[in-house]
Amino acid sequence: MRVFFVLLLACGLFASSVAAEQIPSTTNATIELQSAEAAPADWHSEAPPVDGWTPVKLMDLWDTRWPHHDGVVWYRLHWNQTSTDQPVGLFIDYVSLAYVLYVNGNRIYSDTHLVEPLSRTWIRPQYFLIDKPLLRQGQNTLLVRVSGLAGYQPGFGAVTIGNPDAVQARERRGEFLRYNVQVFDLSVSFVFGGLFFLLWLLRRKDTYYGWYALCTVVWSLYTINFLASSPWPFNNTPAWEAINAAAYFASTVTFAIFLLRYAGYQWPRTEGIMLVLCVALFAVALLCPQWTGHYRAVAIIFGCSIYYVAIFGFMGYAWRHPRADNYALAGSLLIPLVVSAHDMLLFLGVIRSDSYLLAVTSPITIIGMGSALAYRFAVAMRRAENFNLELQREVQAATGQLTETLKREHDLALNNARIGERLNLVRDLHDGFGGSLLAAISTLENPRLPPEPAQVVITLKELRDDLRLIIDTTTHERDTDLAGLLAPLRHRWSQRFEAIAIDNRWTVEGVDDLSLGAMRVLELLRFLQESLTNVLKHSSASQVHVYIRRKGECLNVEVRDDGQGFDLASVARRGAGLPSLRARVGRLGATLQIMSSPGGGTRLSFDVPLSPMALT
Amino acid sequence: MVSTGELIALSPVLVVDDDESTQQRLVRLLSDLLGATHDIAVADTVADAKAIVPVFKPRLALVDIGLPDGNGVELIGWVENHHPDTTTVAISAWGHEEIVLAALRAGAVGYLMKERDDVELRAALQSIRRGGALIDPLIARRILSYIPFVSKDNLAPSVSPTESLVRNDISLSERESEILQFVAQGFSNREIADLTGLSRFTIEGYTKSIYRKLAVSSRTAAVFEAKSMGLL
Repeated sequence: MRVFFVLLLACGLFASSVAAEQIPSTTNATIELQSAEAAPADWHSEAPPVDGWTPVKLMDLWDTRWPHHDGVVWYRLHWNQTSTDQPVGLFIDYVSLAYVLYVNGNRIYSDTHLVEPLSRTWIRPQYFLIDKPLLRQGQNTLLVRVSGLAGYQPGFGAVTIGNPDAVQARERRGEFLRYNVQVFDLSVSFVFGGLFFLLWLLRRKDTYYGWYALCTVVWSLYTINFLASSPWPFNNTPAWEAINAAAYFASTVTFAIFLLRYAGYQWPRTEGIMLVLCVALFAVALLCPQWTGHYRAVAIIFGCSIYYVAIFGFMGYAWRHPRADNYALAGSLLIPLVVSAHDMLLFLGVIRSDSYLLAVTSPITIIGMGSALAYRFAVAMRRAENFNLELQREVQAATGQLTETLKREHDLALNNARIGERLNLVRDLHDGFGGSLLAAISTLENPRLPPEPAQVVITLKELRDDLRLIIDTTTHERDTDLAGLLAPLRHRWSQRFEAIAIDNRWTVEGVDDLSLGAMRVLELLRFLQESLTNVLKHSSASQVHVYIRRKGECLNVEVRDDGQGFDLASVARRGAGLPSLRARVGRLGATLQIMSSPGGGTRLSFDVPLSPMALT
Repeated sequence: MVSTGELIALSPVLVVDDDESTQQRLVRLLSDLLGATHDIAVADTVADAKAIVPVFKPRLALVDIGLPDGNGVELIGWVENHHPDTTTVAISAWGHEEIVLAALRAGAVGYLMKERDDVELRAALQSIRRGGALIDPLIARRILSYIPFVSKDNLAPSVSPTESLVRNDISLSERESEILQFVAQGFSNREIADLTGLSRFTIEGYTKSIYRKLAVSSRTAAVFEAKSMGLL
């Protein structure tokens, strides 16, 4: 399609200019030579043929006149130069494919390759400056030896001669429109294609990025057609043209698939057929370049149709799915439609201008499509960010609820534990304190054994001491560790022993952070209180040593005195206080070890196992 | 008695308690200690006590916390304000540390627990006569929790106004705080004496000075606190 438009461009340029042949040039004027004579020759023709000259009107495409002529055609032009005071500019607009230029019989330019692989000179116009002695007063002759192929628009365009500045300006404009714009087009295609290719690599599931990248890259391959000055890497023009047509077709197919993906469609069968056609076209182009090159117009027209169908299809989609990025993309696709219509009208002479716009607007289209993709990407990002925010908020809310629930459950568990402790305490008051109280009352009430006042006092003091322990333990258990709970007992008993001059020592180790729970602590304190009472009452000891030491997962408790001791066997039978101590130790989960002998002191010891739960 | 020369005169002494048996017990203990009964007066109520104190001018007043017409903490505060020459000691049964502490802050230099043996009460009174005071681990613990900061050296009270404000107007010396720590762990005075190299009487003196510091902070505040805690 592009090939056609370049041709249209060339035609348009000559059509819109004023024909002024054979008019003597003034200092500022330019003339366009549109009349020439042409004569065919073979590939290796060294000099213009003597006869066979046909008058032609430039631009001339010889394939209409000599449809099968591959080889050289000589063109001969004349112009009248009134003055040679000033040099003249010479502008060669279009030559396909390679040529040699003679001015008044002197060769002033020659392409590198005049046989296959032929140079591709048509891609850009050329400018020459001609001065004396080359330039003659009166008639001057321009001889152009053009090497071309009938299948690829062989021919020669109009020549402009005149004021060098004016001619060069025209050449520069042509250079810009036909060459520089293509360079820009190619660069933009590569940059955008590369960019979105990278994006696709990182987001494989967003396949429209990949198709966009593929489309622009294939398109830029096709664009090289307007920039390559030789058919390299092929050694002949038909191979180049065949591959180029395949690239064009591939670009329209990938373009169509891109639009489908963008709209969220997948048409596997249609896409498959088109892709298979693409691959087939490439294969045929490589295998039969001559044949493919000859019929490449079919591929071009077919591709062009796909292109327009895809554009119209997407516009319909955008119409039915009003969304900013759809509109942006449809808008950027509208540009080539409008521009090609403009160019068409221009070609038909309905509107008057001398610029074809398609080549200029192609980068705009690519950028527009890229912008639509970028916009879509940004929208997706924003949605992801908002989603993150929302997610964060919800997670926070959920965490808050969870914390509250856990706290409630914890409070409830704590409360239950507290109630449990209280029940335990009540039970203990029943069984322990209450039991002792009842026993005391029944003893004191026994009419056969009238109580001695001293005995009554002792009993009551025992009850008092027990109550003290209960109060201390239950009041302070919540915020106090074992060391803190032991302190009042230790203090009290130290004072008592000191008052009657019994040396008492305490070794308390490793219990600072230990928490046994109220009932176990109470049991332990009662054990200590009872055993110390025994020491006080029965042992006649001068020294007592209490050990409470943490040994790994055990709490070792030991009460030693150097008193009179006792015979284990006899005491065990009579059971003076020892069963009670044994029972307490048993409730602590340990076994009481008693070592005593008459005159050798007494040692009570046991190890309380510490469950992991007891460690705080 | 180690030294009679250091003894503080506790006579005349006033016992403020509405329970007759306690009155008798305390009078007996005091008589044993002081050797004379004519210097001991007894009051049943706050009003009685307030009437007696200005006339009788006791050196020592033992004040029960729970009195029929008011609370002992208030009476202790009143005595401390109007008759600073009278030393007050609180009496309590099964006393909660908060109550004892309120009494100490109101100005009492010690406390007696009714449920204790006579031996222990006698020891406490002797300690008071020697110019000291006794203390229990739970009270020591409570005082420590009241005073988060401890000044480096009691001898150089270079406490800036802001610091003293932060410390709630109480700053214990390093020695005082050390003794409190030992007491809180259950060490007896003899053990503390061994550990610190001080005599046990010196330790009792430190205890009393701690109590005085508590009292200095705010007497009325203590009453309010005790009231707001529902203890009085």
